[in-house]
Amino acid sequence: MEELPIMVITGTSKGIGRGLAEYFINQGYLVVGCSRGSATFAGEGYDHHQLDLRDSAQVQTWIRTIKRKYARIDVLVCNAGVAPADLLLTMTTDEVLDAVLHDNIRGTFLLCREVSKIMMLQQSGRIVTLSSMAVGLHQEGTSAYSASKSAIVELTKILAKELAPLGVTCNVLAPSMIMSDAVEALGDVVIQRALEKLTIKRTISIEEVANVISFFCAPASRCITGQVIHMGLVV
Amino acid sequence: MTTEIAFQIIQDSFSSLYRSGMLEEDMAIEENTVILGAKSPLDSIGFVTFITDLEDRISSATDKEIYLVLTEIHEFNADHQYLTAGTLADYIVHIAER
Repeated sequence: MEELPIMVITGTSKGIGRGLAEYFINQGYLVVGCSRGSATFAGEGYDHHQLDLRDSAQVQTWIRTIKRKYARIDVLVCNAGVAPADLLLTMTTDEVLDAVLHDNIRGTFLLCREVSKIMMLQQSGRIVTLSSMAVGLHQEGTSAYSASKSAIVELTKILAKELAPLGVTCNVLAPSMIMSDAVEALGDVVIQRALEKLTIKRTISIEEVANVISFFCAPASRCITGQVIHMGLVV
Repeated sequence: MTTEIAFQIIQDSFSSLYRSGMLEEDMAIEENTVILGAKSPLDSIGFVTFITDLEDRISSATDKEIYLVLTEIHEFNADHQYLTAGTLADYIVHIAER
């Protein structure tokens, strides 16, 4: 039986992460997902783990477990993160700032660090991190969140340069608005106002997001690295 | 684990790096072979790859989760990074026996 390519996706219990996991399972990947809570779906081609990505020991153990079980990691999609409610910078508390920076930057950093080591050994791999339309829009009320997502862009570009000699590519996907429970909770007025700021003024689907990841992962994309694709937005 | 086995694991890891094209020659590891610092055959990427491969091999050999933390090595100075195969082999024996 042909070995399935191994894709690690974080934050697969809901939203974009879950949608991507289901999409890529159908595309023939073996998806290894994670969340802080237990799995919200199960099935052939899906392996769920419960962990806190901010804890380096847990991340190290998780990645090593995957390596031992599947022998390789072909694709990493760093999706997990938090998006707090919009707050003016002057209203943003220390706690919100720390939580956003810790969850979004530290989680992505630790995961990239551990998976990079595996990809360096195998001399191949694709890393895709997720930024946000809020960065391109310099959206008011997202100072902490956008700062964390900008940091992810910079982290990814530097990692792309460091890993390029080893055949590993690293790219960033900045999705626009995708309907999820968290977005729906913002309410119609907020959603409409955000859509008005986009170049393509509509929500996007999981398939459209997955299409960009598929592009980054395609064998013919081996010279595409350190790039940011903004969806629905001219930056 | 004995020092001889630790040396053999280091040697196997170096040979593996040579086979993957990360080292120019398949060198014989001796006690004074420089792993990190001036005269090391490994560049920074090569060193990280070596350590990752080494952790893998030691974990397999000991059936334990092994993480190499250079700052735990008594002789290691983070400000003047220098590491020989002999020092590393002693450290491997030490952590394997924890």
